[in-house]
Amino acid sequence: MPDRPQQSYLGKIWLVAWREFRHTALTKGFIFGAVAMPVVMFAVIAVLPNLLSKQQPPLRGAIAVVDPTGTVVPRAKAILERRPTVAELAGELASNPPETTAERVDAMSQLSSASDQVVEVEWRLETAPDAVASIKSSLAKGELIAGASIDPGALDPAKTAEGVEIFIPSSLSPKHIGQISRALRKAVEQERIARSGVDPGLLTRLADTPEPKTTRISPKGAEAKENTELRFVVPAAFMFLLWICVFTSANYLLTTTIEEKSNKVMEVLLAAASPMQLLAGKILGYSMVSLVILVMYGGLGVAGLSAAAMMDLVDPMHLVYLVIFFAMAYFMVASMMAAVGSAVSDLREAQSLVAPVTFVLIVPLMLWMVIIENPNGLFATIVSFVPPITPFVMILRLTATTEQIPAWQTVLSIAWGFACAVGMLWVASRIFRVGVLMQGKPPTPRELLRWALVR
Amino acid sequence: MPVSSAVRIENVVKRFGSVQAVKGISLEIPERSLCGFLGPNGAGKSTTIRMIMSIIAPDSGRVEVMGATALAMKDRIGYLPEERGVYRKMKVGEFVGYMARLKGVHPAGLSRRIDDWLERLALPGVAKRRCEELSKGQQQKIQLLASIIHAPDLLILDEPFSGLDPINGRLVTELIRAEQARGATIIFSTHQMHTAEALCDKVVLINKGEKVLDATMRELRAKHDDRGLVCEPRESPRAFADAAVARGLAVRARPHENGTVDLDLADGTDAGDAMEAALALAPMRSVALRRMNLDDVFVELVGAADGTTAKGARIDA
Repeated sequence: MPDRPQQSYLGKIWLVAWREFRHTALTKGFIFGAVAMPVVMFAVIAVLPNLLSKQQPPLRGAIAVVDPTGTVVPRAKAILERRPTVAELAGELASNPPETTAERVDAMSQLSSASDQVVEVEWRLETAPDAVASIKSSLAKGELIAGASIDPGALDPAKTAEGVEIFIPSSLSPKHIGQISRALRKAVEQERIARSGVDPGLLTRLADTPEPKTTRISPKGAEAKENTELRFVVPAAFMFLLWICVFTSANYLLTTTIEEKSNKVMEVLLAAASPMQLLAGKILGYSMVSLVILVMYGGLGVAGLSAAAMMDLVDPMHLVYLVIFFAMAYFMVASMMAAVGSAVSDLREAQSLVAPVTFVLIVPLMLWMVIIENPNGLFATIVSFVPPITPFVMILRLTATTEQIPAWQTVLSIAWGFACAVGMLWVASRIFRVGVLMQGKPPTPRELLRWALVR
Repeated sequence: MPVSSAVRIENVVKRFGSVQAVKGISLEIPERSLCGFLGPNGAGKSTTIRMIMSIIAPDSGRVEVMGATALAMKDRIGYLPEERGVYRKMKVGEFVGYMARLKGVHPAGLSRRIDDWLERLALPGVAKRRCEELSKGQQQKIQLLASIIHAPDLLILDEPFSGLDPINGRLVTELIRAEQARGATIIFSTHQMHTAEALCDKVVLINKGEKVLDATMRELRAKHDDRGLVCEPRESPRAFADAAVARGLAVRARPHENGTVDLDLADGTDAGDAMEAALALAPMRSVALRRMNLDDVFVELVGAADGTTAKGARIDA
């Protein structure tokens, strides 16, 4: 028989890996889902506020106010037409924070659309106190967009400001109500200040209580400006990034393995490559898929941070840890998914086997706040050494800036984590070998264990 | 010592739970032969084939493929499993190319080779189509192509004819012949006796996990050819059948709907004498020596094992 070229052991693994990568990462679905989507989302987040502010409905119509002193209406008119700047609104919100959700939403939309709105309001001043009844009937007929009555007592600086009422028709939007009510409130406030004879500038200065400036002093004595909100966001971002990368590709690994079994391609493949080669090729192929996602999203994050000149939030060492724990997390989760995928015949059967695993892996997602708050706490330390969640917890602890993690814990968790990953890969290969040829009833966890341990 | 057997199995046993699927089968398949694995459904053909392929391991016994194991010889073996499968979303050319590359075919000129083969299989121009767009029969041909694209030395085909129309069946028959002419050893399992009869050098009949027949077609013909007559009497076939048995001309006689009568001759009877005797017995339209019919051999052997009469047993193809 003639000597023929044979495919090498590693050659087969690479062929399998490349096929998996090519048919997962280089497909329209993936490129859209994993690459285009984040870009589109990014763009939407950047563009949406502008779109929203452009769409602010104009405030048009007549407002009748019963103002016996005749001093409030001109002030309210000026306030409404001048329209506040974002800084003014923000200052006002800070000193008078919204309490209900509706108020907060209103404040947000005011902030996002401080300019660009058309305001064409005709103010009608009524000095007779009994005009309220006629205003109400005009409102009911739809001739006014709002009405108000100002009790002259409310303008007396010696008393509390009570006796300002607003009447609105059923159709007025919450945003417009907020604008009108704000204008009247400010007008009353200005009138009261004017009557008291106090300098308004002095009042503003007196009421201004700034946030304390926070500076973090590192153990080496270096000072850094503290950014409290982002300090929480960065570790969470690292952990979620890890989670998304690992799970997206491990999920692909699970579904394609099941597909190969239910499609009956598996036996054809096994005639060409050994189960070990198949498994190794698959895990390698999806690690590349995973890396693409990591680089995509991670790169986007880094690009965003450098654009905002906030790269000082991310220590370069964090990126090194990210890669180390990414590899650990990927091999752990991928080996579990490969084992499950090989053992079942359809996705539904897989769910029941994957459910307990997913349950454990959700722990870092739910408790990340607790772990960041106290990275050296007993809970955080213990869960750092629980295999499938080790990498997720460790990346949270290491990127949280509040406390230094003892070096021995970092080293031990890496050594222990990789030892566990290798162990899990070994068990997965044992299960995979038996599982790929099994058809019919899905195995119980006990049977899986038997496949793994018995010859 | 030169290897003269492509496949050698010694006393292999396989059980699944409480079911013993293969009960100690031994056989040897010479190089360059074309061997048919016959047997009813569930006889253990596919299990034996999968053990030859090292896809499953026997509980005991030895399997040797080209002097080694199928695992070591993977790239020299082509295999069409009983359960057909292709990557549904993959393009035909890509799928065949992937299988070829896994089996060590050099990428240079590969797509040209695939195109030529597709033409030969009456599937021109499908290389760019997704596998899922093809009909079941077309997919089966693609899979067959994936198993022979690397010009294997040993070709193992599990039910290559099932689900094919007569035209494609003939195409596959031609292909198998061509592969044998190229120098490959071929093992295929089938239910279709006439195909096996037309193609095989050797047949192995497996029933209930045991080998019940292992012979070359030449041996079978020598044993079963001319052991009976097919007569067409001009009058009542039934009367002729009864008379033939009563006169000692045949040990069994089976009249058929179409007016012919099958006579089984007693051992030692000379076929020429028997023909003359039949002609003398009644006016005849025709008398002919009966050729071996694998269908009958099958029914006889399998039926005997089942405890049913040869007449009553029926095998579904």
